[in-house]
Amino acid sequence: MKKAGKDERVWLVLRNIILLCGLILILFPLWLVLINSFKTLEEAGKNFFALPSRLNFDNYLELFANSNYWIFLRNSLKITVISITLILILVPSISYAIARNFNKKYYKTIYYYLLLGLFIPSQVVLLPVTKMMSKLNMLNHGGLILLYAAFSLTQGVFLFVNYIRGLPYEIEESAQIDGCSVFQTYVRIVLPLVKPMISTLLIMDVLWIWNDFMLPLLILNRTQEIWTLPLFQYNFKTEYSFNYTMAFTAYLLAMLPMLIIYCMGQKYIVKGLTAGSVKG
Amino acid sequence: MKGTNRKKMSGRLTFFLFTLIPVILYTFFYVVSVINGVRYSFTDWDGMAQKFNFIGLKNYQTLFKNPYFWNSLKTTVLYSIMLVIGVIVTSLILSISLNSLKAFKTLTKSIYFVPAMIGGVTIALIWDQLYYRVLPVIGKALGIGWLSNSLLMTGKTALPAVVFVQVWQAVAMPTVIFIAGLQQIPDEQYESAKIDGATAFQRFRYVTLPYLLPTVTVNLVLTIKQGFTSFDFPYALTGGGPVRATEVIGILIYNDAFKNMRFSLANAEACVLFVIVALFSLTQLKLTSKGGTD
Repeated sequence: MKKAGKDERVWLVLRNIILLCGLILILFPLWLVLINSFKTLEEAGKNFFALPSRLNFDNYLELFANSNYWIFLRNSLKITVISITLILILVPSISYAIARNFNKKYYKTIYYYLLLGLFIPSQVVLLPVTKMMSKLNMLNHGGLILLYAAFSLTQGVFLFVNYIRGLPYEIEESAQIDGCSVFQTYVRIVLPLVKPMISTLLIMDVLWIWNDFMLPLLILNRTQEIWTLPLFQYNFKTEYSFNYTMAFTAYLLAMLPMLIIYCMGQKYIVKGLTAGSVKG
Repeated sequence: MKGTNRKKMSGRLTFFLFTLIPVILYTFFYVVSVINGVRYSFTDWDGMAQKFNFIGLKNYQTLFKNPYFWNSLKTTVLYSIMLVIGVIVTSLILSISLNSLKAFKTLTKSIYFVPAMIGGVTIALIWDQLYYRVLPVIGKALGIGWLSNSLLMTGKTALPAVVFVQVWQAVAMPTVIFIAGLQQIPDEQYESAKIDGATAFQRFRYVTLPYLLPTVTVNLVLTIKQGFTSFDFPYALTGGGPVRATEVIGILIYNDAFKNMRFSLANAEACVLFVIVALFSLTQLKLTSKGGTD
């Protein structure tokens, strides 16, 4: 008994040390980005780790004035919002159709057809799709949005079909006896029931699309005006490589929207994401 | 009778219409692209020319003779192994630590999840600066020679340094998934183990681990796939350098397709990756479904 008690204490101390080190490892880099974004190059060169001598917003003002930050923010917002809307319309409805007709050959076939995407690494698709989009004159926001909708189907349908098949069928049945059409049943009965999965899909895909780098790099890298925030940051590296406090400001501004959203709803975000992965 | 029949028909039509747009989108943008990709891998297309010829397996022959291709395969495997070990071990330790925490639990958990909110490129660019400006300072202060330059600039340290940055981000998800798994372990199990005089390690070995095993599989699959297809982190941190030390297959494919004008060869490389990932996924599927019936 006594030995177990000692064990316990050693473990508690060890645990707290581990967690503390982890917290430092996560927060210290972000802290450095924050403080240096308020410094001039000269000040940061003198002491990288010290607090800024004053809250100097010059980097921010210059960034807003000289770069197209607002345009990139708007582009990112536009692409994310439209793609997500499209995804949230398409994925639950097709999944409902598949889940409630799984005994029919057509629906079973398209289910496995959509799941094929699980086995295919993105690189196989990305090269030919870039050529195709260029041929179709779709190297623009519209094209990118359609690609996100198409590429989101595999995972989304996989999550939703399994979820809907686990729901009781009786409520829908009685709704249909009461005279509801399939579409009415879907909107009034099924959609409210799948709300938890909708929030999971929403969070997963917002994070994916907002932070995605590869697809915008291939589809939008022609002209600056159509860039998204990740592209802006990447190109910032080459453009402003000498002015690193400015670069820190840019990184901070790119992270900020997501961090604000996370602060507001972190409980739901963590919960939603876990639900998706445990099911998947 | 006629009314119900018509209703049934319209119901069937609704279901069918629900599937229509997604199937078209998926077929047109995804499946056609995959088929095109495989097709291009048998041609000599540079990605620009109007015309191209089918040359059979020649791209694959060139590929298998190319030492850079083998190098990138080796790098990818090494990358994935390091990533998996780093992510699984760290997230396991973190989840057990976090789960047993009493004070500040929610706050600590939320901070640990912050990296999952930030894009890979942003993280990579921040760490690029840290490797360049912070670590050498620490290295000098402690008198550690190999820290005096950016780790990304030396061939030997570049790959682990890139993997570390991806681990920094990729740990968040598995940690939360592990915590969800841990919460399913009934408290009585620990109580009785404690009464039996089990040490902390024994409790981990005989109570925690068996319960966590299914969750380990989930996390393993997620992470291995991330490793095989990694691109953002090495691309933004090193671009594949120095001297191809971090040139994973994702970067090789991108460079061959869009920089070296060897588009069809890049498609062949992607197809090889395809075969590897597919074989791996199938094996994994078989293993887990077997585990499920046992």
